[in-house]
Parts: sequence; structure tokens; C-alpha cells
Amino acid sequence: MIPRRTVFVRSDDRPGGVTPLEPVAEGAAHPAHTLDWRNSLAGRNAPTRGTRRHPLFRIRDELSAPWRVGLMIVGMLAPLALWLFMSTSSSTSLLVPSPAQTWEGARTLWHEGVLTGDVWASGRRILIGYAISMAIAVALGLLMGSFRSAESFFEAPIAFMRYIPATALVPLMLFWLGIDETPKIALIVIGSVFFNVLMVADVARNVPRELINAAYTLGAGRLRVLRRVILPHSVPGIIDVARINLAAAWAILVVAELLAADQGLAFRITRAQRFRQIDEMFALLIIFGIIGIVTDLSLRWLRNQSAPWARP
Amino acid sequence: MGENTIILRPEKLEVRGLVKRYGGGRRRPGTLAVDGVDITVRAGELVCIVGASGCGKSTLLNVVGGLEDATEGAAAIDGERVVGPGPDRGMVFQGYSLFPWRTVRENVAFGLEETRMPKADRGARVEALLEVMGLTAWADRLPKELSGGMRQRVAIARALAPEPDVLLLDEPFGALDTQTKRVMQDHLLDVWRRTGATILMVTHDVEEAVYLSSRIYVLTSHPGRVGAEVPVPFPDDRTPEIKRTDRFHAIRDEIQALLTGEVVME
Repeated sequence: MIPRRTVFVRSDDRPGGVTPLEPVAEGAAHPAHTLDWRNSLAGRNAPTRGTRRHPLFRIRDELSAPWRVGLMIVGMLAPLALWLFMSTSSSTSLLVPSPAQTWEGARTLWHEGVLTGDVWASGRRILIGYAISMAIAVALGLLMGSFRSAESFFEAPIAFMRYIPATALVPLMLFWLGIDETPKIALIVIGSVFFNVLMVADVARNVPRELINAAYTLGAGRLRVLRRVILPHSVPGIIDVARINLAAAWAILVVAELLAADQGLAFRITRAQRFRQIDEMFALLIIFGIIGIVTDLSLRWLRNQSAPWARP
Repeated sequence: MGENTIILRPEKLEVRGLVKRYGGGRRRPGTLAVDGVDITVRAGELVCIVGASGCGKSTLLNVVGGLEDATEGAAAIDGERVVGPGPDRGMVFQGYSLFPWRTVRENVAFGLEETRMPKADRGARVEALLEVMGLTAWADRLPKELSGGMRQRVAIARALAPEPDVLLLDEPFGALDTQTKRVMQDHLLDVWRRTGATILMVTHDVEEAVYLSSRIYVLTSHPGRVGAEVPVPFPDDRTPEIKRTDRFHAIRDEIQALLTGEVVME
């Protein structure tokens, strides 16, 4: 129902003038003819125009909270159910530990006192390597997104490097840099920096031309435009880039740890394999997933905090 | 103020023989957007450029603003050739182009932060401008929280803050609804009278041009050329009542006819 307000209509007795209609009080009873009309539309066989699908199947429509939460819970429970089924069913030849066994595996790792050390070892490598990668990406990306000259110069070599699988560089890095921390961190940088640079450049390119022009006409020089227009406008996009490519950094870290390490989550997985401890392997995989979700959510939070203006 | 006085004012902004060609290389001629345009705006004048789409209105303004290079010819302020953008030529764009991460106050302050003005003076100037524009109550809001008319007021305040020699307006009210547009037009006249600014404004709304301008340049399209220069004989302190006079209608219809002839020819 559209709430009734004061309506202006042209009145016959005052040619050319307008007279306000009597305002109808909110909640006032509708005249009988309105009710008749409504009833005739609501009849079972009354013809209709258009179709309206159930909210579940509408493109980009809001879903009520119960449906949303319900679907999320089902989405989380379904893989768990599948896991339980696979661990109990004898029809599959795969050896799958049950959730309970996996939990025991995690406890064993914890009691051995290696878990925190492994998480920290892997996390530290990611932290250092990815920080270096993002620092390079922000500097180079903003430059490439702002200056055509920088774009022309860097684009070809970066595209070339991007297509060399970082995993293919693992032997070379181990050969050059030995087997301690340096090659692992270097691999994380190489494995993520080229993606990060190109995506940050794209973010910078998306700064509206008009904002840059406005800054120029307000007296800002090129460096000021970079610092006070292109950078602040790019902050949320840069955090998103970091969030999306972080998974690639973990992937390359795992390969590096599999080949040469004495600590770290992926190293622990290979060790578990050697001793046929599938429960521990599962526990470690789940830890990877949890770390991923936590960092993803933190970065989303950081994005919204740092750029309230970009929130929908 | 009599028309004689206007003639005595010095020429503030000049555009001479402006040609702008887009694209084009050694073989292809490209698109001729503007073909030999001459325009003069005297100090303290409010001049409008009207024309249908494709007459190179925005190109012309961008060349004066220093945001685009002319293919031939040049623009000059006080006899000095424009080679790049600067705070002496404030610009207001159709899309407002406010910095979305800055509040209204911070947007208005942007240009002053680029000057050597002491911080306290900057603050005072910003507050004064917010006051003039009726934005004080909204000073701490982000642009996305404002209506179109509000945003345009912020854009004008921001452009005025560094006290430019010339204010360039690119269809500033094009995206506003009719009612808001009228209010903003009166507001602009008010600001113009109070500050004595030199204003060059581009619009496709003929009535708006006649209501606001001291003079109007009518641009023809494809390529853009000056089709006519129309003086507007109303005093500076005009009111919306002039819109009902025969004189107003006559000027409006004359310009409209010039532009309509254009459209039929296409």
C-alpha cells in the first residue's frame, strides 16, 4: 500500500489553479469499491501478469535471514557428512580417517609440541615473503597503473615471468640459495609478486580520470596526485588483491617445504606420510583451511575498516 | 551596470584559433572535434557556451583547463598561454568528481592543502565557503551520503577555495532534476555576484544559458565552430522573473532555432 499524502489536482472551478485534496488519515478504512476491486483481483482464477519466482531462484535478490543462514549451515555440514560417510563406508578403497581420529591426530601433534612451531615456521615465511611481494607490487603496480611509460616498460617482462610456474623455479632456488629460509621466502615472493603487480596496476588504472583531473585543477602536482588521489582510492582494491593472491603464496610455500625443510606445516605432512599417519595428515590439512579462512576474514575486515567510503 | 562598462573590462580568458583533432595518424585524418574556435571572456563576466552534443564543448573547456592539448591554436589567461592544469583555473565537472574518501570539509580543503597557506587560515576559508554554499551542516559527511545538488555545491565550493582567476563549469547542473537545477542556478548567480569571479560555463540547456550569462557563444556541431555570439541584455542582479519576459523568450528562441537547424541537418 502506498501511504496517502496530500495530492494536488487541477480543479474545474478554479481554471489553471491547483487545489489540495483532503488528506486521508493513515490506517483509515478503505471505501467499499476499493475493497471490491481488490477482491476481484485476488480470485483463484483471476488472470495475472508477469511471474515471480521463489527468492531462492531469483538473480541478485535478497534472501531472508532464515534461508541464508540455513543454506550456510547446510553448506558447512554437507562436506562433513560426506567425510563421515567416506570414513565409515567400506565400499571405497581409500583409507579415510574419521573426524574423531583426525581430532586425535591433531592432539598427538599438539602433545608432541610441534604444532605451534610448525604453524609459526610456515606463517613466518608467508608473512615475510608476502610482505615483500606486496611492497613491490604496490610500488610497481601504482607506477604502472599511473604512467603509460612504466606500463610499456614493465608489462612484457612481467607477463613473461608470470607464465613461468613458480614451482618450476624450486630446484633452481634451492640450488642458488641453499636449503634454509632464504629460498622459501624468495619462492613466495616470486610465486606471487607478478600476479600482485599486474592486479594492483589494474586497481590503479581504475581510479576515475575525473578525480585525477580535479586534483590537477586544484593545484596538485603529479606526485601529490599519486599520493593523495591514486593511492587512497586504491587502498581497498590493494587489500583485495592481497587477499585473493595469498592462496597462491601458500601453494608455493608447501612445495618448498615438501622438498627441503625441518619445520613447517607442509614438512609435517610429508613426515606424517612417511609414518603412514593419515589422521595427522588430515589434521594438518584442516589447519591449512582454518588459517586460510581466518586470514581471509581478517583482510576483509581490514578492507572495510580502512575504506568506509567504499562500503556499499 | 551599463554595457559600456563591460567593454572596458580587460580580457581575462582568450581562446584563439582552437583546433582539436582526435585520433588520426599519418594516413588517417582522425576526427575533427573543434575547428577554429575564438572565444573571449572579460574579467568578471559569466559566459556560456551552448551547443548540441558533439560540438566539442567539453574539449574546449578541457583545453582552457590545461587537461588536453590543442592540435592548433591556444588558450590564454591574462595573455599567458595555457600549457597545463593549475589552481588558477578552477573546474567543476558534470560528474561532480568529489573524492569519495574525503568528507565535504576535506574535499573543499583539498586545493588549499596544495598551497602554502597557514593551517588556521585554510580552516577559516573552508568554513566560510561551507557557509556560503549552505553546507555547514553536512561538513562531516561523505559524498555518497549527499544528494546530487549537494554534491555539486561541494564541487563548486572546492573549485572556489583556491580563489581561481577563472571558474570553468562543464555542464555542472546537467545531472540534476529541474527543481534542484533552478535553485543551483540562482545560487551560482549569487556566488558570481559576491565573488566577482570570471566564469566560463558549458551547457546544452539554452534557457539556463540565457538566464545566467552576460554573453553566449553558440557552437555548431561536427566539427565544433562558433555559430553565433549572442549578447544577453539583462543586468547582473537578475531574478527568475526575467524568464517570463518577451526579451528572454526572443533570445532563447533565436538560439534554439540555431541549434535545431543543426540537428535537422545531421
